[in-house]
Amino acid sequence: MSGAVRDGESGGGSEGESEAGGDGSSDGGPAADLTADFHETDARPPTVAIVASLAAAGVAATAGAVASPIGGALLGVAALGFLGGALRRSTRVLTWGAAVGVVGVAVAGYRGAPAEALLVAAVGLAVAWDVADHGVGLGEQVGRGARVRRNVAVHAGTSLLVGALAAGLVYGVTLAVGGGQPVAALALLLAGGIALTSAVR
Amino acid sequence: MSDPRGEVASGSADSADSAGSTDTTDPADSTDPRSDEDEDGVAVGIDSARGDDPDATATGVESDAAEREDDAAATGAAETPTDRERRREVETDRWLGIAGAALALVGLGVIVRQSSLVLAGAVGVGYAVYARAGDAPTPTLAVTRSVSDETPAPGDEVRVTVRAENVGEAALPDLRLVDGVPPGLAVVDGPARVATALRPGTAVSFEYTVRAARGDHEWGPLTAITRDAAGARERTADLDAPTAVSCTPELSAGGDLPLRGLTTVHHGRVPTDVGGAGVEFHATREYRRGDPVKRIDWNRRARTGELSTVEHREERSATVVLLVDARESAYVAADPDAETAVEASVAAAGQAFSALLDGGDRVGIAALSPLDCWLPPGSGTVHAARGRETLATDPALAPTPSGERFYRSLWLRRFRRRLPADAQVLFFTPLADDTAATLARRIDAHGHLVTVLSPDPTATETAGERLTAFERRQRLRTLRSGGIRALEWRDDSFPVAVAAATRRWSR
Repeated sequence: MSGAVRDGESGGGSEGESEAGGDGSSDGGPAADLTADFHETDARPPTVAIVASLAAAGVAATAGAVASPIGGALLGVAALGFLGGALRRSTRVLTWGAAVGVVGVAVAGYRGAPAEALLVAAVGLAVAWDVADHGVGLGEQVGRGARVRRNVAVHAGTSLLVGALAAGLVYGVTLAVGGGQPVAALALLLAGGIALTSAVR
Repeated sequence: MSDPRGEVASGSADSADSAGSTDTTDPADSTDPRSDEDEDGVAVGIDSARGDDPDATATGVESDAAEREDDAAATGAAETPTDRERRREVETDRWLGIAGAALALVGLGVIVRQSSLVLAGAVGVGYAVYARAGDAPTPTLAVTRSVSDETPAPGDEVRVTVRAENVGEAALPDLRLVDGVPPGLAVVDGPARVATALRPGTAVSFEYTVRAARGDHEWGPLTAITRDAAGARERTADLDAPTAVSCTPELSAGGDLPLRGLTTVHHGRVPTDVGGAGVEFHATREYRRGDPVKRIDWNRRARTGELSTVEHREERSATVVLLVDARESAYVAADPDAETAVEASVAAAGQAFSALLDGGDRVGIAALSPLDCWLPPGSGTVHAARGRETLATDPALAPTPSGERFYRSLWLRRFRRRLPADAQVLFFTPLADDTAATLARRIDAHGHLVTVLSPDPTATETAGERLTAFERRQRLRTLRSGGIRALEWRDDSFPVAVAAATRRWSR
């Protein structure tokens, strides 16, 4: 009978701390104990998300370093920020990492990086941040132990697809109109595109 | 409703939604599936598939005719989506600032005349558009939950399988499912959660294991969280899939329990201070006419020539009420994984119940709890079954606190009104606060002799824990000095503690 329950449960953690049977200290504690499942013990982001984020950030840093060592270094710092933010479950750290990465892209572009490398770096940075942030959200809601691979794969794939489409589109447009256009014309073209999309939406 | 976007739009206009409470473990959260909050009329059916029958398709129960039309269009014939309670769509604000960063890159590119920067900025603009496009889809899922054993024994591991099929027409690019595990059951293997992506017509199933604990346990709704592909918007819905397990422990036979000298007039096994027929020597007295010949002290007759009669202690039965402290403050344990003092109390009360019943005493059960629980003293096999049922599944003795307020004086008045005059009380309490000790003294003062049986939930790691242990010892000391018998035990040692106490308390 209930002896079995007690054997099983007290065997689990007789070494534990906290929760003495006191007046005030007992409020809500036991209920939380009983509902505790694997999520509560491990809310870190799933490994697959961290790995995918680091891979994308690595690609971005490599592409940045090809063009400009300082930009590549900043993108590397962004990758470290993504790792740290994922491990600390902090989206704020991830945002800072992404900001550093954007600065890295800006520096690399300022140093005259070729458009191809800069596009790869930008897409890699966006995918890395997106997947890392997604992983933190997953860790909060379903935890590390749950099965999430398909979810992360779909999310990372969609993110990569969007980035690749955007990069391919703008790159194709640049090639089509011929490289020699002034930069302001490109920016105006972009502004026109934005206005069009927001009008459609 | 063939257009899922239209459904989403009506859902987001649903301002009466109860936003916020995403606590899936709270059984009170499982509101009526057809509550007024579900105004847009797309909630479609109750999924009655449960138990060991995961493939049983749901029997759709439409709530009214208007919904019936929507339903037919939405689901076709195959499977009925599980009823859901909709909540408002919320922005996750994940992509906040992406447009700013992108335009900053574009601006920088214009200023420094680097076309590559403008292109990189354009990629950022692409992501900004991506974040704005799309809505969090409303999950249209057919959920079935099956358990490997609906009536497990305590400590058994029960395998729970949850299957959710996307019977809607929209793909769910980001779906997170969190099962509403009953608060009294501990998940011991695999989290009761999954995150996946579902195309229309595909299904996800996940399994986890819970360890059965005493009581009736009902699953809460399955919480489904969907996001759009970019993760910019999020929607939470509760899907009802009723499942329940009932776990009724066998009452183990306990040893003899020392009772105090408040008895009924009926024959039993509690030795009293009344002389009469019995086993144990009590006193001798002058012979009276009519005394049985075999009770005459013949040795004394031979020695002195006087006739005297030996009297034995009369053994009578008692009426006992087992009172279990199940207030919120009694749900304490030495560490977060250990069983609570209420569990220990109920287990010990079960042993006492069967032991006393076997001894011929009349036993009742009451709970010191905000919820009413009262089994009047009785005897017999039917009463034994009823007692077992009460101890196992009464809501007042549930493995987790009820959360209601406890009114001490109201409870005491009702308890005293019910208590038979000759009843003594076995009070199972961890003595976690002064109320328990005060109540024990007051019940004792009203003439119902009280024996306090106290599982010890204290630990001695930190200073605070040592302080609470000291306070509890002080309460025990006060009770004992007030003439109330008190017995404490740790872990599984209730029978041992009883045996030791039986030796100590002669009567």
